[in-house]
Amino acid sequence: MSARVAVLVFPGTNSEIETWRICRDVGLDADIVHWSDAAMLPRYDGYVLPGGFAYEDRIRAGAVPAHDPMMDYVIEAAESGKLVLGVCNGAQILLEAGLLPGTGNVRRPTAAFTKNGPVPKFVCKHVHIKLAIEPQRCAITAALPRDALIPAWAAHGEGRLAASAEHLAEIEEGGHLAFVYAHADGRVDSAAVPNASALGCAGLTNKSGNILAIMPHPERDAWNYNHPQRREKGSILAPSGGSRLFEAFAAALKSP
Amino acid sequence: MSKLPTDGPTVMQGPAEDAGILHLGDFNGERYGVVIAHESHNHPSQVVPFEGAATGVGGIVRDVLCMGAEVIAIADPLRFGRVEDPQSHQRYVAQGAVDGISAYGNAIGVPNIAGDVYFDAGFNENCLVNVVALGLVKENEIIHSAAPAGSAGWDIVLVGKATDASGFGGAAFSSVALDEAQAEANKAAVQVPDPFLKNVIMRATYRVFEYLRGRKITAGFKDLGAGGIMGCTAELCASGGFGAIVDLDDVNTAVDGLLPEVIAVGETQERLCWILPGEQTAEVLHIYNEEFSLPEIARGARATVIGAVQPEKRYVLRHGAEVVMDVPIDLLTAAVRCEPPVRPMSERKGEPSRRYIEDGHAIDDLFPNVLRHRDVASREPIYVRYDGVVRGTTVIPRGYADAGVIAPIVGSTLGVALSVAGNPRYGLIDSHLAAQHAVLDAVRKVAAVGARALGLTDCLNFGDPGDIEQYSEFAHAIEGLAIAANHLRVPFVSGNVSLYNASRRGHAVPASPIVACVGALDDIASAVTMGFKQAGSALYLLGVMQNAMGGAVAAELLGRTGGPLPSIDYAQVNVDLAMLRGLVAAGSILAAHAVNDGGIAAAVAQMVFAGESGIGAEIEIDGIEGLFGEGCGLVIEAKSDLAMNGRLTRLGRTIADPEIVVGKTRFTAPDLRRLWSEPLAEVYP
Repeated sequence: MSARVAVLVFPGTNSEIETWRICRDVGLDADIVHWSDAAMLPRYDGYVLPGGFAYEDRIRAGAVPAHDPMMDYVIEAAESGKLVLGVCNGAQILLEAGLLPGTGNVRRPTAAFTKNGPVPKFVCKHVHIKLAIEPQRCAITAALPRDALIPAWAAHGEGRLAASAEHLAEIEEGGHLAFVYAHADGRVDSAAVPNASALGCAGLTNKSGNILAIMPHPERDAWNYNHPQRREKGSILAPSGGSRLFEAFAAALKSP
Repeated sequence: MSKLPTDGPTVMQGPAEDAGILHLGDFNGERYGVVIAHESHNHPSQVVPFEGAATGVGGIVRDVLCMGAEVIAIADPLRFGRVEDPQSHQRYVAQGAVDGISAYGNAIGVPNIAGDVYFDAGFNENCLVNVVALGLVKENEIIHSAAPAGSAGWDIVLVGKATDASGFGGAAFSSVALDEAQAEANKAAVQVPDPFLKNVIMRATYRVFEYLRGRKITAGFKDLGAGGIMGCTAELCASGGFGAIVDLDDVNTAVDGLLPEVIAVGETQERLCWILPGEQTAEVLHIYNEEFSLPEIARGARATVIGAVQPEKRYVLRHGAEVVMDVPIDLLTAAVRCEPPVRPMSERKGEPSRRYIEDGHAIDDLFPNVLRHRDVASREPIYVRYDGVVRGTTVIPRGYADAGVIAPIVGSTLGVALSVAGNPRYGLIDSHLAAQHAVLDAVRKVAAVGARALGLTDCLNFGDPGDIEQYSEFAHAIEGLAIAANHLRVPFVSGNVSLYNASRRGHAVPASPIVACVGALDDIASAVTMGFKQAGSALYLLGVMQNAMGGAVAAELLGRTGGPLPSIDYAQVNVDLAMLRGLVAAGSILAAHAVNDGGIAAAVAQMVFAGESGIGAEIEIDGIEGLFGEGCGLVIEAKSDLAMNGRLTRLGRTIADPEIVVGKTRFTAPDLRRLWSEPLAEVYP
């Protein structure tokens, strides 16, 4: 039986359909769960927080939805070891909820994805993200090869990791830096970073390795037809590229 | 619209309602339609560019939504003044409008897949902010903007933001010449956008569609635009042959004490109106107000019953204990006809071009300057601000081809292409031919991605109709659109007119018939992008070069004005487009790009910039006219050599060096690319 996954919709979420589609296409039993149905959340094996502008990005992206009653369920599930994946606005919410990097207390964030740099504007650019930890450091990446390179679209106005020097050091030393931005050939340098993110950070995991947050959207480059100049083998409608992250997520959910 | 061809085998619904519908194709036994609408938000954007441009997106999205459609894409044709001076109002407008489109479109989660931008001093006092939106709907699930048959007594349900005093007089404001002295007063006429609320209303409305379809209920649905509650409810009921009673006291308002006329015709954003059978009302209100909790999303927002459809064809407004209006409903909705005099079309303006080559201009300077010209330079600094990939359906995002392509039907290989066109440098010379080129360029752009054109929409942005010169330009442009659409056999299914784009001093904008074209691909796997794919391919022009440099970027750089625009041989263009479809079907085309601003040389350069890294091109043709003449066809990269004929001219080949070779001059591609990338990056850092 496939694992059951909830794709959460807060007021202002806008990427629930494609996130749900890729979960389904990699074999998960996925449902879209709206804020008014929060009480249904405990029945799921895993959770995906998709992109958007939940609560209008008021105060700071993710700050208000981190206090939505839906997050009570997500925090409880995460603490019990269930898998939680946040993409873009979902990633921002997980940081604001204090679940990532998880070096502070719940709802007391020690780091945030905040206004892009050097220009504080929304940016929509194709990027690659590279696995910067040992795959098995995080359950959701365990099925990926070492140094896995995943295509995705950065599409955010607040994707720059910001934290104090002390907390940045914790992120690096604690193995929380799960993904960094990279060029298509895998090289890592500051020119590959679309938003001046600290450490070139594109994604974080927590200490236990059951929560993963990534800023760019692999689900928007997740089917063969999404790659305008890079056709892969198989049906034009088949999952490929960014789908590998969701395949790894599904593999972890199915393992005993 | 009565002067344009509006019928044909691809038309599912012509230009009768808020948007037209084109037959995309069939999937799983269902006929799918693409809804298309085109609007302007020019005046508001000149006054408060961020809010003006944002509400433009919001309005067009509602036009598509109210046909029962899922909103699947937007596009933005923009015309700004000269922005070189960082302190100028024009630059403030150009930046603010892009930020507004970005803020609104990104938040509602609809990909922005096409658009263009031109800069001309003629737009200094009147920018043009047009917006196009596409929707997807099954033919048997189209909802009409009319009270359905037998709906007397049904509920009129208002959905959305609490009515306030914003946008009072908005429609009237859009139809005056802008006067700087009244700038502050004009600001109050601009509506206030709320994309966050719109995001939730859209999702709630999709749920209502599902609910009504499940019960096979026919309802009426329309967005609130110009004329507010009164305009919308009167049109809904009158077009069904009914009247209406509306209780203004039942309208959810943001503040107390609004005058009845403000409630009735104010243009508060983010509102829609349903005509529902009474027994369904409670569930629909539940979806909006409880399931999607509108009142908690935005103060005062909700769905609420405000009146009822009446059998008698009168329009009655009640406020307090009083009837404040009681008139025959047709009085409110009947079209006003007026046909101002039109000057006969003069001979083509401008002198015929001399041969430019005789002047001995060196292309060494001209080529880089063409690439960095404001109308040729890379648009990436603008479109990078727009989310082009939300929904996960994008096949070709902006920057990869002449048209955007999406795959909107989950599980189907059907693709939708969208392009826009309308060159104001042409509009300044000859509105009649400029309109024809706008249609042709839009159709060519859709053909360049391998799609067949299904239909067109337009927004006609012109000056003061009371001025015979300005009105004549408008009338001549409409004739031009009709000529092109008839010859190319592509119908117009919707359109919009924006007049009074003139300052009080009488300066009108360059004639701006802006056209959008929707195309269909049966298999998205055959979509063609414009970047060169490999070294050693042959390059061809599909079309014919002309000695007509009127309106060309190179002519402007060489100090020439006027001059005839390129003429159009429609019979040959139809053959070209058929040949292109054949070559695409055979898989013979590796890349294609329509030749417009900057001519063949700029087109080839852009194909290098968009192509595989390390691949360059050699251009074998010469002469200013050949290299920089515009509007002449498409550049194609062929998989193998093609037999030449009268319409296929060999241009050169792709090479394995990152260079662009023109005649004897070798340019370094990365250097040219930098020149091409810088101008707009300075305006949009």
